[in-house]
Amino acid sequence: MPDFIREHLTSQLFVSLHVMAIVIHIILGTVTLCIYAERKISAYIQDRIGPNRTGFDFGLPFLGFLKGFLGLGQALADGLKFFLKEDYRPTNVDKILFTLAPAIVIIPAFIGFMILPWGGVWDMPLMNLPLIGEIGGERVYVTGAYVNVGVIYLVAVASLGAYGITLGGWASNNKYSFLGGLRATAQMISYEIPLGLALLATLLVAGTFMPEGIVRWQVENGWLILAMPLAAVLFYVCTLAESNRAPFDNAEAEQELVGGYHTEYSSMRFALFFLAEYAHLVTGAAFFALFFLGGYHLPGPGIGHLTSPDTTTTLAVIAKFLVLFTKACLLVLLAMLIRWSLPRMRYDQIMQLGWQSMIPMGIVLLVVVSCMIYLDWISLPALLAANVAVFGVTIFIEPLLARLFGRATANRRIHLYGSRFMPVPGTPVITSPTNPMAVEDRPVQGTVSTS
Amino acid sequence: MTTLAYADPSPYLPIFFMILAAIGFAVLNIAGSFILGPKRLGDRKGETYESGMTPIGTARKRFNVRFYLIAMVFLVFDVEIIFLYPWAATYTLLDPGSEQSLVWLGRILFFLFTTVVAYLYGYRKGVFKFD
Repeated sequence: MPDFIREHLTSQLFVSLHVMAIVIHIILGTVTLCIYAERKISAYIQDRIGPNRTGFDFGLPFLGFLKGFLGLGQALADGLKFFLKEDYRPTNVDKILFTLAPAIVIIPAFIGFMILPWGGVWDMPLMNLPLIGEIGGERVYVTGAYVNVGVIYLVAVASLGAYGITLGGWASNNKYSFLGGLRATAQMISYEIPLGLALLATLLVAGTFMPEGIVRWQVENGWLILAMPLAAVLFYVCTLAESNRAPFDNAEAEQELVGGYHTEYSSMRFALFFLAEYAHLVTGAAFFALFFLGGYHLPGPGIGHLTSPDTTTTLAVIAKFLVLFTKACLLVLLAMLIRWSLPRMRYDQIMQLGWQSMIPMGIVLLVVVSCMIYLDWISLPALLAANVAVFGVTIFIEPLLARLFGRATANRRIHLYGSRFMPVPGTPVITSPTNPMAVEDRPVQGTVSTS
Repeated sequence: MTTLAYADPSPYLPIFFMILAAIGFAVLNIAGSFILGPKRLGDRKGETYESGMTPIGTARKRFNVRFYLIAMVFLVFDVEIIFLYPWAATYTLLDPGSEQSLVWLGRILFFLFTTVVAYLYGYRKGVFKFD
């Protein structure tokens, strides 16, 4: 190994790279199993059976004992089929952007994971490895990247996927794709604001931006979902909307927009959009578990000590990893249950929920929490009461806001003088068709009031 | 906390490698299906999909101005949140109840007040109306 690499290969970097390599496989494995789970859950909710035949026998007789297998081979079969499908590109698309867009979507979906504290702090034993030599013997963070901006990194990369979706919609040169891309972008950037506000209020309470510190606060004071339930709800709804999941999946509303921004995509390029959506979902669930569900900590006798931030043995690292991963998986399952239980919201209702309801709530919550921090009232019951109060008050304020401010439109409609909406005084106005056949159907004749 | 590998000059290096890995993944997948998949071209097949009808014009046409308004308002709020994060990083370090803390709180309340004014202006102008 060249000297300059060995010089920069600290124990932390060594561990981070290994965590990174594992995390890539975890994302891909989870995402493929997510698709299987989604199909199975939707089947059970709709009283079907779902995929139950595909095994791992590949049609070979000597592998017959792998047949069936609960349909678990479905994920692999889907992936292979994506590869073997025609990678078709319509003739009138923007060729470069059309190819680039799936790649631009998948990259932010991958790198969002990097700051998750999978295993807390690890007392790395001194190891003597071939090629590298002696390494370890110090404390390292078992995380993809221990960056000192902490969770601001998440806010920075979370919505980068909107670029790829916009480009995909634009490059397809298809009206469905274009509208789907526009909708997805508008929705993603809109829900980024309440996400940022809710997260900020939570971080103010935890008093730190580092993932380790957030977990430590929750170990000492109780999970943040108990202290900040409103922020948790805002955050969860926003992660659903950010990953374009039902009930916010208007970008690909089948009835209106066929496939949305990926209407024109096929084979693996379509699959990348698909994978990115699920990767965003898993990322959102993992970060929700980190911020509100105690991260890698699980209370209880024995396990509470094992998964506390102060235990740094190798066993503790594995236990913490499993705890965080299990929490994330359960949240993903919750998102799937939501998808198959709730109907899709209308697009104007989505934007209304984001702008007229969640953003005021986020701002009020932020103001209340910062005032409470000034007064040093950051005990758990006080915060819980504040959250409930903010929710109760803003629920009443928001209709009031809509009454006070929501009436005017961007431009007052000015009618053309002499048209049927603003007739010249004294002239008769025809509001129904003059064709006798049509009049028979709608025999309504009258004048339009000009007031 | 004495021997934490904390002062590493390049904690962003793994993220860089992850971006490389993601690019590699994307390129491999796109190239893989391009190489493995069949290729059957056709005039009608290459047309834009419009529910089976002959496409009318292109998608490069004017669209609703509301998306533009949303983008502008988003810019206001996003810049606001960008300013809030550094504020929060410092505010949590101050002693609660101290005079300096009060100054910081007052500043951010004024800042949020200006944002709320902008929000209400947008509300009044019907930016958030999507009917």
